[in-house]
Amino acid sequence: MRFLSFIVTVLTGAVLIYGTLDMPDWGDPNSPASRHVSPRYITKTEVETATPNMVTSVLADYRGYDTLGETTVIFTAGVSCILLLRRRKKTTG
Amino acid sequence: MEFIVAKYNYWIYIILMMIGFYAMIAKKNLIKKIIGMNIFQTAIILFFVSTAYKKGTTLPILTSADAHGEHAIAVAQYLNPLPHVLMLTAIVVMVATLGVALAIAIMVYRRYGTLNEDEIIKAMK
Repeated sequence: MRFLSFIVTVLTGAVLIYGTLDMPDWGDPNSPASRHVSPRYITKTEVETATPNMVTSVLADYRGYDTLGETTVIFTAGVSCILLLRRRKKTTG
Repeated sequence: MEFIVAKYNYWIYIILMMIGFYAMIAKKNLIKKIIGMNIFQTAIILFFVSTAYKKGTTLPILTSADAHGEHAIAVAQYLNPLPHVLMLTAIVVMVATLGVALAIAIMVYRRYGTLNEDEIIKAMK
């Protein structure tokens, strides 16, 4: 069983390494991730949000709804932790 | 050699990810499985942060000259801020899943008195 898991792990790793052969090089300025929407954030952040820190402006202004959903995730996790860990009075468990 | 330098960051993250993956599927202890899940998520976060890097750039915080609008902002001067933001969200999700997973592990321990997967499955039957 342990040997089977090791084989599966090595196979998955080999497939992923094969997949990296088509990935953009490290530090490539023309990689697809850096070309599409990120130049707009870099150039317009001062004009539109008056925030010098681009990470803050994207997190709190452009993607504010994303951050709102993130707080919902934390809230759900906290509520489920409370529900799981509270001591019930009648049943033992 | 150039090929290795261009891709070795991905390979490091894949190795890290596979360590976590092996821990998740092969280990019998639930806490070790949770640790494996955390290593897995950390590898993905590192991978995304490394895609943000552009050679010869600085942090995505405007310098004072750019901030006062004295000249046009050069895109080639700053890192890609978007993966950093997305990974900030991913770190939050990671902590949330870790908390819920540990709470469930505590509940399993209270109910069955063990964290070993085989013993739990045997006790459930």
